Amino acid sequence: MGAVTDDEVIRKRLLIDGDGAGDDRRINVLLKSFTKWCNSPGTPEEGFTQYQRMMGILAQCEFSMGKTLMVYDMNLREMENYEKIYTNIEQNITSAHDKIAECKKEIQRAKRIRKNRQEYDALAKVIQQHPDRHETLKQLEALDKELQQLSRTKENVDAKLELRKKQFHVLLSTIQELQQTLENDEKSDNDENNQESPALNGE
Amino acid sequence: SGPSLLHMSVFSQSFSPCGRFLAAGNNYGEIAVFSLSAALSPDATALSQKPVLRFPAHEGPVYSLLSTDCQLLSSGNGEISCWSWSELIKKNVKSLWTKRPKYKSSLEIPEINSMSMNFRDNSLVFGGGDNNVHILDLEHGVFKSVLQGHTDYVHCVSVRDREAEILSGGEDGAVRMWDSRTGQSVHCIEVHKYESCARPQFGKWISCLTTDSDWMLCGGGPSLSLWHLRSLSPTSVFPLKGVQRQTTFYQDMILAVGEGPAVSHCLLGGEVKAQIPCTPQSLNTLQLNTSSTEHRVLTVGGSSDHIDVFTNLSYRTFSLSF
Repeated sequence: MGAVTDDEVIRKRLLIDGDGAGDDRRINVLLKSFTKWCNSPGTPEEGFTQYQRMMGILAQCEFSMGKTLMVYDMNLREMENYEKIYTNIEQNITSAHDKIAECKKEIQRAKRIRKNRQEYDALAKVIQQHPDRHETLKQLEALDKELQQLSRTKENVDAKLELRKKQFHVLLSTIQELQQTLENDEKSDNDENNQESPALNGE
Repeated sequence: SGPSLLHMSVFSQSFSPCGRFLAAGNNYGEIAVFSLSAALSPDATALSQKPVLRFPAHEGPVYSLLSTDCQLLSSGNGEISCWSWSELIKKNVKSLWTKRPKYKSSLEIPEINSMSMNFRDNSLVFGGGDNNVHILDLEHGVFKSVLQGHTDYVHCVSVRDREAEILSGGEDGAVRMWDSRTGQSVHCIEVHKYESCARPQFGKWISCLTTDSDWMLCGGGPSLSLWHLRSLSPTSVFPLKGVQRQTTFYQDMILAVGEGPAVSHCLLGGEVKAQIPCTPQSLNTLQLNTSSTEHRVLTVGGSSDHIDVFTNLSYRTFSLSF
């Protein structure tokens, strides 16, 4: 147990001040000069000068310690700062990942929309080539009217034809009747003449 | 050793259901399985771009590959084989089954050019050199029906899920739409008869076909064109040189590959937005790994033993090779 603590102590001391210069040496020197001062005979002035020198060294040590404490504080705060920046960057990375995933979805959506638009355009192109429905309907209506008109005209002409046929038929049959009547009359006249003077007729 | 890499062509590709592997079929009848996760990992080496498994699947070329939720289907001359993905990943190359549809004559071994899944009734629609479209019921393993109507090879088939319709395009220049329930041909579009699409200097055959519910892309001899299915009218024609062999809808764009060493990106209005250069001089197949989130790549293969991989659609990232 004691050996371990000794090793620890030695390691720590080497780490802090391995080369023997600096604060460690100052404290040792102070300790030696304090013991010397306590045991020295010397004059009171020498004693006082020695005392002042030692106070000076002590002040230096205190100053050095103060400085180290401040550096330690600074390091702690610096560490905190870095921690903050680290978490901040991590958050940014995750949000960037999320944004990328979102954008990828957007792209898929946009491609789908583009595809639909292109299909629509392609169909529209074909539809444009065919005549407008209004036009076709109008043409159909006009043709219908024409057809009706023509059939009416045909009916009229047909009726006229029938009428004329009938009239001619009546005329022809009347003529025939008249012809017949005339022939009959002529015949009966001839017969009468024959009966009256057959010698005159030269038969 | 083995077939010459110089004359190798990649005809077909399919991603595994987990999205970590790519199967590719070549003109020598071999299938190679590549580990995408290895090839895309940050510590990938040149070895990661080689197949983890390579085996002979058919006597003739592997015309088409298709993955279901656990199986890989491959088509060759007159036959369809089925492999389990989990077994393939464990490097076990024994197929689960191989089926041959009944053709009119037993001497007929027509190539099966294209396959498509009908998820509605778990059936496989395929077409090929016998001018017909066949339907195989995957649940019961029987060939359900034969759709007759094309007068020449069927090059490509596609399933229009929402309307229960099957589309097929063939050498005779016709795109036929079939009702998948009755097997009747409901429409027949002769693309080459439309002036805006026709390219008589190339011919009339249809080599690629794909559908996105109300819209259809088709091309081949005629220019690649976008059709609105309900009105059966072509809305846009894409000014791409050469014959297009595979095309797909992707987000708001259309991707197409065919003659020429580039993947074409087009907009639905008919504009060609970009043409990204590739290794093979001519391309046959294009696949997107949509079932994966970490390995979302586009891969293309053609007249080369290299398969280009695109992690970003704008440039080729690296190539896998047989």
